[in-house]
Amino acid sequence: MPEFTGPVQHVELSTTLWLIALLPLLGSVTNAIFGRRLQKSHFGHDLAHKLHIGSLGVTLVAVGAMLAAFALSLWHVAKLLALPEAHRFLFCHAWEMVRIGSVDFGFDFALDPLSSVMILIITGVGTLIHVYAAAYMHHDGAYWRFFAYLNLFVFSMLLLVLGDGFMVMFFGWEGVGLCSYLLIGFWYDDYAKASAGMKAFVTNRVGDWGFVTGLMLLFWALGGAWLEGGSYQPDNLPRLAAVAVESGEAEHGGHEAGGEHGAVTAKAHDADGDDAVGHHAKAAHPQGNGTFDFTVLPGAKVYVDGALAGISPLTGKSLHAGRHTLRVVPGGGTDDLEIPSFSVEAGGETMVSLIGPALSFRSLHDQLVVRDAAGHHTVREGLQSKKAWGGVGVITLACLCLFLGATGKSAQIPLFVWLPDAMAGPTPVSALIHAATMVTAGVYMIARLSWLFALSPVASGVVALVGALTALFAATIGLYQYDIKKVLAYSTVSQLGFMFIGVGVGAYWAGVFHLMTHAFFKACLFLGSGSVIHGMHAVVHGEAAAQDMRKMGGLKRVMPITSRTYFVACLAITAAPFPLFAGFWSKDEILWRAFTTENIALVPGALIYAIGLAAAACTSFYMWRSYYLTFEGEHALPKIATEVHESPAAITWVLVVLAALSTVAGVLFGFSTHLLGGHGEPMLEEWLSPVLQHAVVSFREGGLGLEYALMALSVGLAIASWALAKKRYGAGRPADWAAREEGLPLFDAIQHKYWVDEAYGAAIIGPILKLRLVLADLDKWAIDGIVNGAGVVGRAAAWTSGAIDHHLVDGAVNFVADRTFAAGERLRTVQTGRIQSYLYGLVGGVLFFACLGYFLGR
Amino acid sequence: MGAPLVLDNVQSLPFIGPELTLGAGILLLLVWELVAHGARKRVGLLAIMFATLGAAGAQAAFALAHDAPAVSLFGGLLASDGFAHVFRVLFAFVTAVVALYAAPVRADDALPGKRSTGEMYLLLLTVALGLSFMAMSRHLLMIYLSIEIVSVISFVLAAFSIDDKKSSEGALKYVIYGGVASGIMLYGMSWLYGATQSLALPEIGARVAAMSAAQHGVPPVVFLATVCMLAGFGYKISAAPFHMWTPDVYEGAPTPVTAFLSVGPKAAGFAVLVRFFAEALRATGSLHASPWPLVAGVLAMLTMTVGNLSAIGQDNVKRMLAYSSIAHAGYMLLGFAVFSTTGTAAIVFYALTYCLMNLGAFLVVLALAEQNGGDESVGAFRGLGTRAPVLAACMAVFLFSLTGLPPFAGFVGKFYLFAALVRGGGNFTWLVATVGVLNSVVSLFYYARVLRSMYLTPAGASDAPVVVARRHTATAIALAVPTVALGVYWAPLYDLVARTVGMVP
Repeated sequence: MPEFTGPVQHVELSTTLWLIALLPLLGSVTNAIFGRRLQKSHFGHDLAHKLHIGSLGVTLVAVGAMLAAFALSLWHVAKLLALPEAHRFLFCHAWEMVRIGSVDFGFDFALDPLSSVMILIITGVGTLIHVYAAAYMHHDGAYWRFFAYLNLFVFSMLLLVLGDGFMVMFFGWEGVGLCSYLLIGFWYDDYAKASAGMKAFVTNRVGDWGFVTGLMLLFWALGGAWLEGGSYQPDNLPRLAAVAVESGEAEHGGHEAGGEHGAVTAKAHDADGDDAVGHHAKAAHPQGNGTFDFTVLPGAKVYVDGALAGISPLTGKSLHAGRHTLRVVPGGGTDDLEIPSFSVEAGGETMVSLIGPALSFRSLHDQLVVRDAAGHHTVREGLQSKKAWGGVGVITLACLCLFLGATGKSAQIPLFVWLPDAMAGPTPVSALIHAATMVTAGVYMIARLSWLFALSPVASGVVALVGALTALFAATIGLYQYDIKKVLAYSTVSQLGFMFIGVGVGAYWAGVFHLMTHAFFKACLFLGSGSVIHGMHAVVHGEAAAQDMRKMGGLKRVMPITSRTYFVACLAITAAPFPLFAGFWSKDEILWRAFTTENIALVPGALIYAIGLAAAACTSFYMWRSYYLTFEGEHALPKIATEVHESPAAITWVLVVLAALSTVAGVLFGFSTHLLGGHGEPMLEEWLSPVLQHAVVSFREGGLGLEYALMALSVGLAIASWALAKKRYGAGRPADWAAREEGLPLFDAIQHKYWVDEAYGAAIIGPILKLRLVLADLDKWAIDGIVNGAGVVGRAAAWTSGAIDHHLVDGAVNFVADRTFAAGERLRTVQTGRIQSYLYGLVGGVLFFACLGYFLGR
Repeated sequence: MGAPLVLDNVQSLPFIGPELTLGAGILLLLVWELVAHGARKRVGLLAIMFATLGAAGAQAAFALAHDAPAVSLFGGLLASDGFAHVFRVLFAFVTAVVALYAAPVRADDALPGKRSTGEMYLLLLTVALGLSFMAMSRHLLMIYLSIEIVSVISFVLAAFSIDDKKSSEGALKYVIYGGVASGIMLYGMSWLYGATQSLALPEIGARVAAMSAAQHGVPPVVFLATVCMLAGFGYKISAAPFHMWTPDVYEGAPTPVTAFLSVGPKAAGFAVLVRFFAEALRATGSLHASPWPLVAGVLAMLTMTVGNLSAIGQDNVKRMLAYSSIAHAGYMLLGFAVFSTTGTAAIVFYALTYCLMNLGAFLVVLALAEQNGGDESVGAFRGLGTRAPVLAACMAVFLFSLTGLPPFAGFVGKFYLFAALVRGGGNFTWLVATVGVLNSVVSLFYYARVLRSMYLTPAGASDAPVVVARRHTATAIALAVPTVALGVYWAPLYDLVARTVGMVP
């Protein structure tokens, strides 16, 4: 067995990580069980009334769970911050589910810089939206049900991002899908809303098929990716490899590495004090010792040199330098695994990696970065050399399938159609699920698998191109929508497209950055629109009317805080004219990276850039249009001036906080001295680099001048679009603005969303419904025939068997019984009787098996 | 590892603590039954019963938890090893649950046929003692004696409702059938003794191995002897074609007894079967080395198929469950057919899950029949979903689990059985596995009939709520919860089983 080296992931153990996900689950369960009673009770009635929120008890449970989860997240992120960069990976093994053969599926959680960004968004923005929802939903009869769902959603979302493997992620992935369905159709007595939920659910199933297929492809492909003595072992079983860790610190000189080593050894003494009896003599000379980590297969028993070293996950065990043997008893239905001999170097660190099919991201990642003694990335090369169906790389295929999953969850072409309809749900749901968190799951997944997507330029190119096309396509649909939430929905689809451009072209951190800034400003916009809708209910009736911008106008005068926060968020998303708000930083980074990328094979980066730029210009136009139509100019309905009021404090304060975040987050996380000619990296890029550094990507040197020029171009275009929007829809807009719009080219197509829904209806849904009729006929004639035939055969068999039972067994029994009992209770007379048939069976059985042996001649 | 530790008679005593406890409990119960009266009698009976079983089970569980070393007792008559301990715990648990079923509600409550509860408890404890010995036996004489203890007492238990014609009739058949089966088994044992000049399984194993090596195959005399013994073992686990007594006896016997017979003696039969083939025949999963995988595979296929097909047409739920228990013996034989430790672990794990779900299903039948004057037909379950929602939900859990659907314990158990089988490799195991899967499909049909009756058929005339004794509902919940829990989180239990199924070397 060759020796391996590589930058494999350090692991720090945590026992509390799973609590972050547990808290919202507890909140959800509590509200599900006691919520109805809490809502009916008079607990805190006056206070709730004063705060303009619904039942205080329900709110306390739901918001309390969120606050606690947020605090716990902060605490864990602080713990992460305190660790040296390469060690920022908290791991928590909650429990083992299935371990048999090569399938190892436990509830393992992991927190690294990438998931830390996600949990802060989920719990942070989530808490704000819960507070907002307390006011927004306060009249609803099923207030408790709403919060039970909302907490359940947060739980699922946390599972999705905290899972240390595909399976936990998939649990979360399906969980958020379910909650999304439940919440879109929250007002389920409205048929349109219920069917919007169904549409979201069904569309996502298509994506999930891709997700699962990609996962299985990857799992299958890794099965034989192992060279032992130069040959593949296509047995689909995992193997172990001892890997000498190359840490980043080693390059920085002895000081840090030494300190590191000391810290780890000290911990080893706490953890397994008495295990290392044999090594105590050596432990006196730390330079003669190396550390040993075993963190795969949690729960497995680890024997080093024949003695029990501990239960996995096991970190920082001190072993004397030299050769050792390892045996691992994973338990369950998995065979024992062994490394006959591995070496530990003095002062070095040796970790054991799993090689072969794995579901854990860390195991997948580690085996792709290890190098054998000859310096080859054995496993990665093995995987890359695998081709399927006419020479398509398996990695490409797997990545494309996984991306299909992402297009479903993140509403990209071709599966974006559900998101606009999903606006049927209550507005806080739109803000939390359909803008800030769930829909970004696809982006998160690709960033999480950056080292995999980076291996496939073709797949990355497809991701970037689909992202770019979606960004432009959705932005143009947004141009002439009248429903304020529809504008924001298409805007979300479009912004998600930008994120996919980022992760597609290899700028993974920029994609995540845009994910974060988008969470702030889009939540702010959605909640602002919610505040408006909340107010508009005073003058119009019905959901559709309350969301129609043609009925608004001039709301600035009655809802000053809402209008100001909406304005700030518009600045953030459009980046015009002050290129300092959050969206500018992230969007511009994405566009710049798209322009200079070298990672997307056949697709030219400049094309992606151009499409993105056009989409950005459209964004500026439709966002300002929505702002002006809603907040400026004359009231469309005169009653607005007197009857519409600013929303309660719970709503406006949340808006203010989100607006503030939209303002500062960009500069804070995205500014780098590089823009001023220095060499610094943006804060977020540095924070994420331990996770993303193994994705091998490259960018052309563009030069600062070009970067500034492109920046100026995008800002210039945004300003131009804004000016156009202001001219058409600004305070002094002509009364017939709507009619004028209709005369514009392409208006009809855009109004009808390019007839995509109709096309789907005609091309897929209609035929399926027709097929259903055909199948029903087929079912009637063919399938039923087969089934009935099978049924007849089965019945015949059963009848025969039953007949034996009835006539031979029961018949005999009844015959015997009738005779005996009829004759009086003279049981003694039933000695020989028809029990014979039983005994014939018995003896016949013996003879049958005897003959079996005889004829087989053994 | 190394040579097995063989203890003499005095040294062995501490290792049969659970059995000594059971013996003491039997004596105590006998005395109490004679001297006590009224309410005190009832309380005392329950106390003695559960204390005895608790103490016996706890001792075995303690040995299990501490990985007590495997030793051979009484100069090689009995084995005290992990394999035996698991079964001893299982038997104590099963007996306790059944005792709970049969417990009198009021002081003057007599069991069917005016027989006293104490009498039944006495018999149950004695069977439990026999079952423990079955799981420990590693000597032909002990195997025979322990099987006979269990059989003879089971005859009496089956005839417990003395006024019930069906009960008496079934018991009589049981006696005759059991007698013949024992006779054939004894005949086989005598052949084996003649061929090997030993009754101790390890010695038989050594001689058979030597003879097989000399003759390049299993000697015919050993094969014939084993087939004869298979009649005895097969009758105990009700494997086809040695199953014919099962439906009549199960239907006729009082329901608590049926529940007990379908779980306890069956599991013990498997313990004897596995130990005999492992120690005396040193069977391996290779189809070329010996005929045993073929014999076991055919036995498994026959048993599953006969059990499932016969169950389809049954209208009486108790009789249906009787056939279903035959089918489940067939599933467990799947794990047996590969003769590997994974297979053994799978059998034991399945036996644990099967005991939960099968006891539960019988309990629901019992609770329902108590309320409606003994109606055990599928029709009696009509509308149960609304008439007794909790009980119906529990029954649904048991039935889904018996079918082997996730996320219930039965699925996990079946999964491990099939996994063990498929890991055995070879075309024949695939054939057996395919037959097994097809049988699982068939089984859904008759379990689903009950489900349909409970949830989809309107209650009809009698849609009044069914008032079930509270302790029955509580027990049903207590059995349903682990049935679900083990379907979600079974790793520790399986690991424990897999770790401890080792036998005395």
